[in-house]
Amino acid sequence: MDRPLADFVEMLRYSDVPVSISESLDAAATVQIFGYKDRGLLKTALAQVMAKTIEEHENFDRCFDEFFSYNINPDLAPDAEFSEEEEESSGNQQDNSPEDGDEANDNEAGGPASGGGEGGGGLSGGKNDGSPAASLVQMLEQNDRTALTMAMTAAAKAANLSGIVLMTQRGLFTRRIMEQMGLDQVNKEISNRDKAGDTEGATRLSERLDILFDSVRDLVERQLAFTSSGKAKQFRQDILKNVRLSNIEHRDFKHMRELVRRMAKRLTDMNSRVRKVKNRGHLDIRKTMRRNVAYDGILFETHWKQKQKDRPKVIAVCDVSGSVAAVARFLLLFLYSLNEVLPKVRSFAFSGTLGEVTDLFDRYGPEEAVPLAIDEFGGRSTDYGRALEDLKELIFDTIDNKTTVIFLGDGRSNGSDPRIDILKEIKQRAKRVIWLNPERKSVWGSGDSEMLRIAPYCSTAETCNSLNKLELVIRNLLKSS
Amino acid sequence: MTFIDKDPATAIDLIKAGFEGAGYICDRHIATSIYLSQKLDKPILVEGPPGVGKTELAKAASEILGAPLIRLQCYEGLDESKALYEWKYGKQLLYTQILKEKLGDLLEDAVGLEQSMEKLHQFGDSFYSEKFLEARPLLQALKSEVKVVLLIDEVDKSDHEFESYLLEILSDYQIPVPEIGTIKAKTIPLVFLTSNNTREMSDALKRRCLHLYIPFPDAGLERRIIQTRVPELEENLRNQLVSFVQQLRTQDLKKLPAVSETIDWARTLLLLHADKLEVDLVRNTLNMLLKFEEDIDNMSSEVPKFIAVAQKEFR
Repeated sequence: MDRPLADFVEMLRYSDVPVSISESLDAAATVQIFGYKDRGLLKTALAQVMAKTIEEHENFDRCFDEFFSYNINPDLAPDAEFSEEEEESSGNQQDNSPEDGDEANDNEAGGPASGGGEGGGGLSGGKNDGSPAASLVQMLEQNDRTALTMAMTAAAKAANLSGIVLMTQRGLFTRRIMEQMGLDQVNKEISNRDKAGDTEGATRLSERLDILFDSVRDLVERQLAFTSSGKAKQFRQDILKNVRLSNIEHRDFKHMRELVRRMAKRLTDMNSRVRKVKNRGHLDIRKTMRRNVAYDGILFETHWKQKQKDRPKVIAVCDVSGSVAAVARFLLLFLYSLNEVLPKVRSFAFSGTLGEVTDLFDRYGPEEAVPLAIDEFGGRSTDYGRALEDLKELIFDTIDNKTTVIFLGDGRSNGSDPRIDILKEIKQRAKRVIWLNPERKSVWGSGDSEMLRIAPYCSTAETCNSLNKLELVIRNLLKSS
Repeated sequence: MTFIDKDPATAIDLIKAGFEGAGYICDRHIATSIYLSQKLDKPILVEGPPGVGKTELAKAASEILGAPLIRLQCYEGLDESKALYEWKYGKQLLYTQILKEKLGDLLEDAVGLEQSMEKLHQFGDSFYSEKFLEARPLLQALKSEVKVVLLIDEVDKSDHEFESYLLEILSDYQIPVPEIGTIKAKTIPLVFLTSNNTREMSDALKRRCLHLYIPFPDAGLERRIIQTRVPELEENLRNQLVSFVQQLRTQDLKKLPAVSETIDWARTLLLLHADKLEVDLVRNTLNMLLKFEEDIDNMSSEVPKFIAVAQKEFR
């Protein structure tokens, strides 16, 4: 595989497009077929090989545009050699046949990027490490582009450029790489020439030095784009998982959404897996007879009793009143994700009165649906009694021994009767009732909290105030099914 | 159709032209993926909203390649015996009955059970040979002498096991039949898998496929589709109709009208001898486009507005 492609794959992986090894091999084959000439065509083709969901396609498009505008375009532009002195030496190659042109592009693109790739420039590094300073003046003087690129790569490696994470480190790394390449020597040489009266030579050298500075800066920027977004995101997500739901800021909502979605998917994947007890267990006499009528009643084909697929039926009720306002968004978000992945979830939200939000979730994306649900049902003071009455009226008949009822709320009913009796009835009918409370267990029962009265009528009542907790609770719940 | 040896750009244009000849208007993405799948011998996973022509794509591909189409409709509970192969139990039974006499003759001189068994073994597993194998779509596709187009429709409706079962076929074009051995494809078929995304396909499956997403077409493309599919429809009406549908798609609906609905509606208007969009006519035929009572109720008040815009756009 050629190097720009390897770098591109790396970039995609950091940008949330997981490209497997076999996919990158396919990508290499694709590049071989299409070449780098027709960028539009290559993009279309590579997108189909490497991106496998709609979201990934979006990311892919963005990365592709970023990567290839940066990497190869300057070489293809006919006037590139005038704008950049470094191009002079490769100028002759560009006039050649397209294939040669491609090769030149590959080299060029590989140059600045290879600092990031593992082992990138390893060979050239060995060659140049010996006396970089002595040759930098020479290289600039002769404008030896290849040598410069190799030296830059080696220097980047020595400066550990791939460790760059933050925007603020750009200056530092640029400086380090330049020093590694022998900046001091060049500066000395320039001042020497100035003293000696060779102004022209000094200007020429400093101009070229400026160009070199630019390319090093580019290299650093690119590496930053490579690594930082990916690493920073990973870092953020790790934190988000453990932070209290109420402390998460609004701007993290999007990250959170992604996390919740993934979690919900994992959980349902685990749960909806078909439990296969086929060809074991009991013979289904009736079906076997029926099937073998065609063979004169000789029992040829057997039919075994099969276990029905386990399809969880979930009714989720979420408190969105003022007292849980801080976490309501995330509870709803979780509900939303559950809705997305489980086929039979009916979601309800309430503060004063209770209403179904399943339809709302079906129609809108989470960014719209969650605020809408809060608008419609939130804001009033909680009344669990009322909510349970409404719930009973709406869906009591649909609750059966396969239904799991999940309540998300703090159990603070503002002094009104929480109608434990209805909860009791629900529990008797449903497979189980789960109550997830964002408050710690030690404050349950304090003030207007009715948790201590509620808890006995639930199969489980748990504290649930961070994403990790939420996942744990739900996982346990699915396991026991 | 010979496009395989041409250089990519020409080949893709050829494919596009070929599809148009078969009455399927496609964009560059689709043509590219056909070309790529031929070059890399990879199946294509086609995703997109219902009614944008995913299944049609496979049919059209079979037409332009001159390869027969073998279709496997996936559903919950689909298993190997329906998708791959089955033994012809009845035939096996019948044969044993008929050959009873013969077997008696053969075993006549054998003494004792052991010797008879020994003798029987000499005839090999003739009852479990390919002659008694009932090939289902997947096996048919692999055994075919000529190149075929294999359409695995709505693969997202199948179970996880079946999806895993597909993996070997998709990557190596072979399936194991325990009694006979592994059956390898004689000619590598062009495989389409379609999915409506009712569930996410596993990474393993996606990794083996090219991923093609077909969105709703833009106005220009949709006009050309209608032109090919319902050529009798007069140009002005066609333009208005497409503009109307495109506006409808920007609305918040339970189910957005797809291309197939647009085509149906165009045919309806043709049957009703309409020459322009009129409010009553559209309201009465709105059920061709919208498939939910709620959507129809919501949209019927918007109809005059949409018609006005459509007519303003195309006078």
